[in-house]
Formats: sequence, C-alpha cells, structure tokens
Amino acid sequence: MIPSLALTAVAVLAIILLLLSGRDDECEERAAKGQVRQQTPQDNVQPAGLVRRIFSLEDRDFIRGIQSRELQGLFLDERRKVALHWVRQTTGEVREIMKRHRLISRQSANLDAGAEVKLFFRYAEIRFLCGTLALLVRVFGPHVLVNLAAHTSEVYQRMGRSLPKVASVSPGNLAAS
Amino acid sequence: MPCNFARLVYLASTRDYNTGTYHHEGLTARYGMEQTRQALQAAHCDLFRELVSLPLKELVRELEGYISSAHEAPGDFIHAWQELEPYRVAVPMEADSTMVQLFLSNIKLALEILRFHQEQIQANQRPSSPQPLLGR
Repeated sequence: MIPSLALTAVAVLAIILLLLSGRDDECEERAAKGQVRQQTPQDNVQPAGLVRRIFSLEDRDFIRGIQSRELQGLFLDERRKVALHWVRQTTGEVREIMKRHRLISRQSANLDAGAEVKLFFRYAEIRFLCGTLALLVRVFGPHVLVNLAAHTSEVYQRMGRSLPKVASVSPGNLAAS
Repeated sequence: MPCNFARLVYLASTRDYNTGTYHHEGLTARYGMEQTRQALQAAHCDLFRELVSLPLKELVRELEGYISSAHEAPGDFIHAWQELEPYRVAVPMEADSTMVQLFLSNIKLALEILRFHQEQIQANQRPSSPQPLLGR
C-alpha cells in the first residue's frame, strides 16, 4: 500500500515538474528570442564550469563576508535569476534536440529501438531534473543546489554525446543553427 | 592596459555597433581585413569567457582596477555605470545567453559592492559631530 502510494506521489510530482519546466520554456522562448545570440561551437565554454560559477558557494561566502543584508539580498535575487535562466535554456535546448531528433527519426530506415528508449529516458531525466531545479531554486535559492545542477549539466552533456549515434544533431551544432 | 576588464572594453570598442564587425586599421594594413576581424572577434570572446569564469571577488578587483585607471572620481564613475549600464556593450555578439546573464549580473553586483565600500570609506572620513559639552 505504502510503496504504491509513494510511487503515485513520485509520478504526480514528476508530471508537475515537467509541466513547470515546460511553462518555463515558453516564457524563455519568448524572452530569449530577442537576445539568444548565434553561437559557434567554440563559444560553448565548459558548461560544468559555468554551472558551478552560477551556483558558486565561494561567491556566496564572499558576499556574506561583506556583512550587508542589502547586498546579500541582491546577490540571492541575481543568482536566482541567472540560475533560472540556465535551467530554462537547458530545457529549451533539450526540447529542441528532441524535436529535431523526432523529425530525423521519421525519415530514418534503420532505427535502433534500444538507443531510442535510452534517449527518451535521458530526455525525461533532464526534464525532471530541470523541473526540480526550477522549483528548488525558487524555494531555497541556487547555492544549496550546486551538486544537483552539476549533475543536470552532466546528464545534458551525456545526452549530447550519445546523440550522433542516433541522429546527426548535438547541442553544439544545434546552437550553431 | 591595466587589467583584463580594460582589455575587454577596448576590444568591444573595435567593433562597429551598427554591423557588429571588428575593425583595426593598423592590423588590417598588416594582416588583411578578414584575418584582423577574426582575430579581434576571437580575442574578444576568449577574454569575455575568462571574465565570466572569474569568482565575484576577483571580478570586483578587476573592476576596481579599471575604475582607478580611468582617473575619475570613483563615486561618479560607479553612479554613471549603474545608471547607464555601458558595460552591456562589452558583451560579444556570439556569447551564450546564460554567460551574458551571468556577466551582466556579476557586474551589477560588483558595482554595488564597490558603492558599498565607497560609502563606508566616506562615512569613516566624515568628521565626527561635536560632543555636547557636559555641565551646560
């Protein structure tokens, strides 16, 4: 009884988080249309480094050392905004990759069912992680989530690396298109 | 140049704001227009990435160095930068949008930190108000 209830609760939470991250995408797509710049592959810095910088504990400790409540509040607001921007951008890119993949898969004669299932689960995992992050960043702020954010970034990179075997799109060339 | 932030501002200033292309007469005469454009663009992007990856503490130091090299009153400089946000033009056109957000946010924070320090210095320099004389 209890395990089935727990499973249902997890499933409901997953659906809520997916919906939440989906809503973020739409906001992001609208907001980013004017500001997302055309990228070249060399412009993609090491995402793990960028993520660690956004969720950085070092910066939080530095601000705490200044001992100004105003500055601490501003810092938290600013980092929350940037963290949510990254979450939305990641969700948007992953969604775009899957959209393109679906289009390519339809024309492909030799689909690998195992790879397709694996890709779908990775996609669902990233969407779930992004949804969780979007919720937790709003509630707790970004700095307690550095490991979860780094893990999400890692999963995203793994998805990017596994894509060429399935289809000829990757986060790198997607960004360039 | 005194610091990387000054280099970033300089590289951004070699870009035509109407077209987004980089120009440098001296380099063009020596290496040709296309090579110069590519070199300036790459240098701008590299330097931008370097500054984005800096811890906030070091970015504050960079900005402080830039302000002191400008030979203006720091208070006026900080006020103008907070109001006009001229640092927005230092962003390369090709930069990733999260990097841009982080950079702009960090500069905003760094300016606020420097303003806070500036106010503290001024408060310490202010002569203390005369003490009321006892027994009167």
